[in-house]
Amino acid sequence: MEIEYPELNLLLQKFRANPYKIYPVFTPHTGYIKEFKVKEGDLVKGPTGKWLEKPGSPLFILEREKNTKIIRAQISGIVQNLKMEFLNKFVEAESCVLEIKHQLSQEEIISEILLSALYIIKAPETARYVLSPSLALKLEKEGIGKVKVKTGDELLIMTFMKRETPIYLSQEGDFVIYRLYFTPFQLIQKDQPLIGLCLEEKLPYLEKIVKKIKKEWPSS
Amino acid sequence: MKLDLHRKLKDLLDTATYIKDIKGEAFLNISLLIEKISEVYENFYQHDLNFIENFIIQVESEIKKIMDEAERTLTPYEIVKIVRHPQRFTLQDILENVYDSYMELGGEGEINIDPAIVCAKAIIIRKVRNDLYFHQVMVIGHEKGHGEEFRQGGSAKPWGNEKALRFMQMAETEGIPIHFYIFTPGAYPIEDYPGSAQQIARNLYYMTKLKVPTVALISEGGSGGAEAIGLTDMRLMFEKGYYSVISPEGAAAIEAKIRDGRPPRELVEKCAKALKLTAKDNLEFGLIDRIVPEPPLGARKRDYEFFKKLKLELIKATDEIVLQTRSLKFLRKYTLSKQSTEDFKFYINWDLDEDEIEILIENRWEKYKKMSQWAVCEPKNVIKSFFNFSRSWGLKFKNELKYRILKPSHKTFKKFLDELTTESSLLFKPVSDPVKTVYNLIVGKKIKSKIPTPILIEEETSPYRSPLALEDKTITCPQAEKYGCPDLWVPDLYGEYCGVCPNCGYHFLLEYKWYLNNIFDKNSIKPFNDYIASGNPLEFEGYAEKLKEARKKTNLRSALLTFEAKIGGISLVAVMLIGDFRQGTVGVAEGEKFIRAIEFAKITRRPFLALVHTTGGIRIHEGTLGLIQMPRCTIAVRDYVDAGGLYIVVYDNNSFAGPVASFLGCAPYQFALKSTRLGFAGPRVIRETIGQEIPPDYHSAENALKRGHIQGIWDRRELRKKLFTALLTMGGKNLYYR
Amino acid sequence: MKERVLIANRGEIALRVIEACKELGIDYVAVYTKEDEESLHVKLAEKKYRISDYKDMNDLLAVADEAKCTAIHPGYGFLSEDYRFARRVVKRERPLIFIGPSWEAIRDLGNKLFLKKLAKELNIPVIPGTTQPIFNEIEAELKAEELYETLNFQGNYNYSLMVKAAAGGGGMGIAEVRNLDELRPVFRKIRAYAKRFFGDEGVIIEAKIPYIQHVEVQILGSKHNEYVHFGTRNCTIQSLSKQKRIEIAPGFLYDRGEYGFDIKKIENEIINYSLKLAKYFKYDNVGTWEWLITPEGKYFLMEVNTRIQVENEVSAKISYVNNKQINLIKEQIRVAFGEKLTYSQQDIKFKGTSIELRLVAEDTKRGFIPLSGTITKFFWTPKPWLSVRTHVPQDKFYNIPTQFDPNLALAIIYGDSFESAKKRALEFLEDVKIEGTTSNGERLITNIEFLKEKINWLYKFIPA
Repeated sequence: MEIEYPELNLLLQKFRANPYKIYPVFTPHTGYIKEFKVKEGDLVKGPTGKWLEKPGSPLFILEREKNTKIIRAQISGIVQNLKMEFLNKFVEAESCVLEIKHQLSQEEIISEILLSALYIIKAPETARYVLSPSLALKLEKEGIGKVKVKTGDELLIMTFMKRETPIYLSQEGDFVIYRLYFTPFQLIQKDQPLIGLCLEEKLPYLEKIVKKIKKEWPSS
Repeated sequence: MKLDLHRKLKDLLDTATYIKDIKGEAFLNISLLIEKISEVYENFYQHDLNFIENFIIQVESEIKKIMDEAERTLTPYEIVKIVRHPQRFTLQDILENVYDSYMELGGEGEINIDPAIVCAKAIIIRKVRNDLYFHQVMVIGHEKGHGEEFRQGGSAKPWGNEKALRFMQMAETEGIPIHFYIFTPGAYPIEDYPGSAQQIARNLYYMTKLKVPTVALISEGGSGGAEAIGLTDMRLMFEKGYYSVISPEGAAAIEAKIRDGRPPRELVEKCAKALKLTAKDNLEFGLIDRIVPEPPLGARKRDYEFFKKLKLELIKATDEIVLQTRSLKFLRKYTLSKQSTEDFKFYINWDLDEDEIEILIENRWEKYKKMSQWAVCEPKNVIKSFFNFSRSWGLKFKNELKYRILKPSHKTFKKFLDELTTESSLLFKPVSDPVKTVYNLIVGKKIKSKIPTPILIEEETSPYRSPLALEDKTITCPQAEKYGCPDLWVPDLYGEYCGVCPNCGYHFLLEYKWYLNNIFDKNSIKPFNDYIASGNPLEFEGYAEKLKEARKKTNLRSALLTFEAKIGGISLVAVMLIGDFRQGTVGVAEGEKFIRAIEFAKITRRPFLALVHTTGGIRIHEGTLGLIQMPRCTIAVRDYVDAGGLYIVVYDNNSFAGPVASFLGCAPYQFALKSTRLGFAGPRVIRETIGQEIPPDYHSAENALKRGHIQGIWDRRELRKKLFTALLTMGGKNLYYR
Repeated sequence: MKERVLIANRGEIALRVIEACKELGIDYVAVYTKEDEESLHVKLAEKKYRISDYKDMNDLLAVADEAKCTAIHPGYGFLSEDYRFARRVVKRERPLIFIGPSWEAIRDLGNKLFLKKLAKELNIPVIPGTTQPIFNEIEAELKAEELYETLNFQGNYNYSLMVKAAAGGGGMGIAEVRNLDELRPVFRKIRAYAKRFFGDEGVIIEAKIPYIQHVEVQILGSKHNEYVHFGTRNCTIQSLSKQKRIEIAPGFLYDRGEYGFDIKKIENEIINYSLKLAKYFKYDNVGTWEWLITPEGKYFLMEVNTRIQVENEVSAKISYVNNKQINLIKEQIRVAFGEKLTYSQQDIKFKGTSIELRLVAEDTKRGFIPLSGTITKFFWTPKPWLSVRTHVPQDKFYNIPTQFDPNLALAIIYGDSFESAKKRALEFLEDVKIEGTTSNGERLITNIEFLKEKINWLYKFIPA
């Protein structure tokens, strides 16, 4: 939970050596790949706009039961490992068609580094998660980094084995919700990070770390 | 003396610049003249007096010539430019020059709930021989300002119009006439509470029965924004004003199907001409009562003569309204006699008594009912119209007798009987029973102790298969990414699911026939007034072909279907705006059909349902003749609702602009289906007017519900059931009419 | 053209269909999702496709077209009782054979209210109650009063009422009402619940039968207007959320006098009524007619399951045609392809008793919470009277997928008599070993203890 400056530097170095994250793109379901809209090495964009109302770059066209669907990029980056052999072939669901090599932004670097500095609530099971309604409301109102939680508070609701199970904060202490690491309603693998919490008294220390990262890693 | 000349020169320079602004740089070497004047003006003190005096005389005569020529060749688009020019007179100028004193209510420049709307209490003095008479009036109007940013060019925000409404009500309480001044390019298109459309609809609805004389003066009559304070007893228009359903630029953008950027100038000029937006055109159409003359190229801030004339026109107009409620003979004498500002021949008291108020409101209704009727296209078949006439009179007589004369006594008796039986049912049973029998003998029918509730049976609707459902394919729900909806098989989607995604409830577009077949009882639909057709009263170029195409495509004559129908055995009159016919826009035919349908519902004492398949607003190709349907239909709605009618509006798909800001939006009970987009102006117009992007859900039904525009969101799959429940619980068999 | 069946299911039933296809000499294609990659049915199938979800009909049909299948077997659960799926399978441009009854039968028999109305018209007894959904409380009160009057008239006093969401099922949206004063608040609660969870406000009111046994009739029809039954099953022992845990065939204990009525007569009556309804619908596949039996010998039709049931094998085990045990899944596939039955009711002989035990990873003491984890050991001693159906491999660790019910295995036990079958069932339960860990490292619990205890309740009336 503690992170020392040398360690921070080490992490920063690691990211500097490889500031990328690979996002594989899977077919959401079966069907024929009718057309590729990108080639190897193309730059693609994720959804943009103030409300993310402008969809991402088209990647390929998947047709199933006479429905042609444009599969779009969910994140920005460079196309690699494009499986051209899938063209005009029937593909199974969840086949990896290509990968997007995404350059981490400053925000994302901070998130990644904070993983080792924050108290992380991990997914106890491979399941779908949502924030508990009262917490979601608070977060919407006050914003991230301001909402306080303490031992015994309901944090998340896990949809698992066809049931909804609440997840409570078991760690002693007063925490602030500092980072969210998951997308609601998505299947999250076991042990993946869900929420990053910070002890209230540790806040200034964290801000310092963030400041340092920001200095070391200016936003482009 | 020299200072005077300097000022005079400055005026001339202003005038020349003004001419240039209106007519363009190339007009009769005006640029050259401006150069010449400014040269002299700038080096004023180097020239001698004589030279300047001569120069002024020469320039004056030159300008006069140019002015006359400019006036002679004035085009509609140039009139639009005059109206928008910062040198044109504003409401502030009128308040200062026409009224003898005034006090602005609720605002000082920028410190105002909405600086685009000015309300003021004002005194106007009438001089009759040696006596002075003081009239108090309420002045409400748009303030364009001379270029101040915060006035928004006279675009009233919803709360500005609300302020206007508040002071209309105050004037009503005080019994003083209201003078409205319309200087607006259109309402400010935002949906903040209560939404532009809702507020305009509320204003219109209230103005229909305002109990004081009202006069409107139109300088810039831009669409719905103008109507918000434009439903009046007397409508005057300035000679160089324009009154239009849409700005020429807006019309051009629509005509050229432009999404972003500016339409070409030639098209804008063409549209300005085609829209027939000048005072002369509007007078010819019978949409205004008189034109207030202006000096060549329009009145400006300092045209004091003009203000004097305006004062006279105002007093005369108010007098006439008042006299119309009194003696027609005197009115005739009054209009024939010559009046002038300095010396009025008559003093007329502007207070109205109860009877006069009733006549005033009746006159207003009659006036609007007649408007645009000449443009209605229906076959002139004498026998048929005679038959219709006698039929409607027959119906009226029958229903008057049934509801007005028989029902009250029937009701009183039933009440008495109910009291008798319920209060002491045991004790009085032997007593009340014979009474019942006697009553039944006389009236000829049994008094039922329990009203049988109509029931809704599913099989009562006709089996109908949407043509959309015939293809073996699947489609993706637009909200799939957000809610993870599976792809939908088209025959299921457009069949059993009623075009609704079963996972997220997204409503897909369905053809209008679906509604006719799935909401109403089988074989209960009886259309009427089918023969009224949309025409081309403005002879708008290319519109006739578009109409023909729409008629061919839909097999309909107008975008509004009016019919009688039943839901679960409850009989009602319904109208439906159909999106396939010119995007469900409203013109003369639609307005006329709406009014006839709602009057029919009133005569036959039935509930009235307006279904909106889609409406894109007022049809721009019919210009102000279309626009006038907003107040016309609203008066009809008010008349129906005040008579006790149940008026329900249900929106689906897209509902925007004029109709929502008037006869639909004024309904007490409005509902929307789930994926409806509803509001005043579309995203493009908003972006261009307020220069901001709006969130994607800005016009969603949820937001409309949140700000109180609609009273509920319905699911299309339950539409029939919901309507039935609504008719039962909000009306009740004997409650449709009070 | 050779027939090819797409098996649109997983687990035990997928294996059984594979087995049946092999025996019938028909091609088959399996589908699976990412979570099921280790399952036995994926391993056993030669031709298989990964799809996004077993409930995704688009994927199933796309695969069926791609693999050139001619028929689809829906198994049980998932899309088996979705009439829209059945309809789409036969109505699309490239139609397939749906191995199940006609979509109309699925729709109408699956609609509880419709079934009730129809049964009433055909004079088939149903649980007394409303046949139309009710939307407002005044009407509800009137109907409840009426219902009380009818019950009293029939001599059924002290019954309480059940208020149910018309669109509900599986024990959700149900509440009991003991007297009329409670009705309105309960009605409002259930109506709100129904609106929220099923999107339909309709509510029905039924009498609550205090003590019951749950007996069902196995029916088979063919496309040639042939209808037979394979006797009855007793499925009274269920979990909290009305999921069956132990089934036994036949449905009644003939050689013991614990019933207060003529068993044979009642059994015949419910069989005949079931056949009557099947004929009315020209029901041409396997189906189960579920009945409630009261200690007084009254019986009510509860619902019809228009699919193969999990517990089909207990009926198969005691039904002999030409001295051979039948296989209901094979019969089901055969009739779906339009074959004749080749035997009549007289040819079906019943012999012995069969018990099915469902082994589930669940915590029966804490409201039957389904559990997930890793199975490290799954062992039992094979016996001639025992067949165990499972998709869990015995030779390696198995992770229970979290997106499905944690059913592990079905054990079907056969005995000449009830006593011997019961003895063998207990013997099996003592013998079987399931070991494993949950994801937080605790010992994985199964319902074996629960089954041991409940075996003694077979053929007894229990409070509903």
